[in-house]
Amino acid sequence: MLTSLAPGRASTQALAPQAGLPPAKPAAPALPAVPMPVQLNRMTIFIDPGHGGIDSGSRIGEATLEKNVTLALAFRLRSLLAARGFSVILTRDADATPPNAAGQPITLDDRAGLANHAHPAACLLLHATGSGVGVHLYSSELDPADAEPQPLPWLLAQAAWVAQSRLLERQLASALGKAGVALVRSSASVRPVDSLTCPALVVELAPQSEDPDSINFADYQQQVAQAIAGALVFWPSQVQPPVRLPVPSLPTAGAQP
Amino acid sequence: MIQRHQRIVFWCMVLCILAMAGWLAYERHRGRERIERLADATPIDAPTATTESVMLSLANDSDGTIVAAGRQIALPAEQTARARALIDHLVAEYALPGSPHPLTSGAAVNEVFLIPLPLMGHAVSVPQDSNNAGHETSVPVASTDPNDPQPSSPGGELAVIDLRGSFVEQHPSGVEVESLTIASILGTLHANLPQIEQVRFLVDGQPRETLAGHADLLRTYPSRDTTTTPRP
Repeated sequence: MLTSLAPGRASTQALAPQAGLPPAKPAAPALPAVPMPVQLNRMTIFIDPGHGGIDSGSRIGEATLEKNVTLALAFRLRSLLAARGFSVILTRDADATPPNAAGQPITLDDRAGLANHAHPAACLLLHATGSGVGVHLYSSELDPADAEPQPLPWLLAQAAWVAQSRLLERQLASALGKAGVALVRSSASVRPVDSLTCPALVVELAPQSEDPDSINFADYQQQVAQAIAGALVFWPSQVQPPVRLPVPSLPTAGAQP
Repeated sequence: MIQRHQRIVFWCMVLCILAMAGWLAYERHRGRERIERLADATPIDAPTATTESVMLSLANDSDGTIVAAGRQIALPAEQTARARALIDHLVAEYALPGSPHPLTSGAAVNEVFLIPLPLMGHAVSVPQDSNNAGHETSVPVASTDPNDPQPSSPGGELAVIDLRGSFVEQHPSGVEVESLTIASILGTLHANLPQIEQVRFLVDGQPRETLAGHADLLRTYPSRDTTTTPRP
């Protein structure tokens, strides 16, 4: 079960969605009539190592699978973030993806549901590619919105968080640049980033050099993970969640003409 | 005096020569038919107009850019066939050797559907008076769902592009390469069919989450100018 963790308390967990967590989309609990900021667990970071199990992702070079690179980078990030006092949520901590409530491997929507339930301060979707070099950072392509409407459209849930996502992107880009990592920043519609209710980025790791196998170099992965973890240290005090609009009142039956 | 066995050998050789000549003639005939079939200019598709100038938004994987490039191609007059031909021509460019955004050759699109915006449905209206009892009428009604696509200008259309499963299965996987393919299609449609304001994708008639594991195929994309400048 997910719990709100006190700031500064270090713990890590790989989510088991079958343990009482439905793959629910953002719920609409009873809300006050005035807009209220969305609650955040400021010391929780959600990391989704892309792909897993039968979904290998792309092939990098001759023998490297994307799912293995994302998992290796996720492990490094988890260790470094836990050492800095963060609670880290991984969607998988093994090759295979954990099952959802229906006993099937978790879907992309399930992953977004897990993130939205945890209310983390940042959501990092890890991917890997054989094209280009360095790190590619992508934020959502959605037009920014000022507040979270109710009910929240599943495929547009990120809109209210786009400004925070772009702020986080700048923080990570600055840290990666200082670490000497080649960087590409852009926006893209990558599933399920548009359904996340947290500052969310797609972090795509590319090889260090023209050699595709350099993506597996431990020093390189550690360099990238340290830059990202370092950039997240001050993020909990910087993130400003959007307000959530009250649920529009529905006309009562007696009010019908 | 020619001996009997020599005559037998002679006539056997003559038979072999005749058989070989017959075989060669048969193979020559088959070869000619094959070449004639290849050169057959019988039109399979409906005749199209003369070539016209179109603008393709071409992707480049090396620098992550989309650049506009003019081409002279023949396009059908009908709008949905036009949209389909544009996308197929775009993919054919990417299948050429040395393409900066290499994709496999072959048709990419099953069909393109153009739907006027806003989305309309039909409601059945039952007359109240007894004279017209039993005469139900169907009246067009615009969708009231605020999340449904709305036109930004009168005459705006939603294009639903039904991609072929074979194209999607063979598409390279990666955030950038998939995003460039989507942006390239959006930019090409925007440049040549400006009435298309929004675009949705299907794969073999069904919704699909991603193109090749990354780019979102469930969302509605705005048709827009996607040309970009090279990264520094």
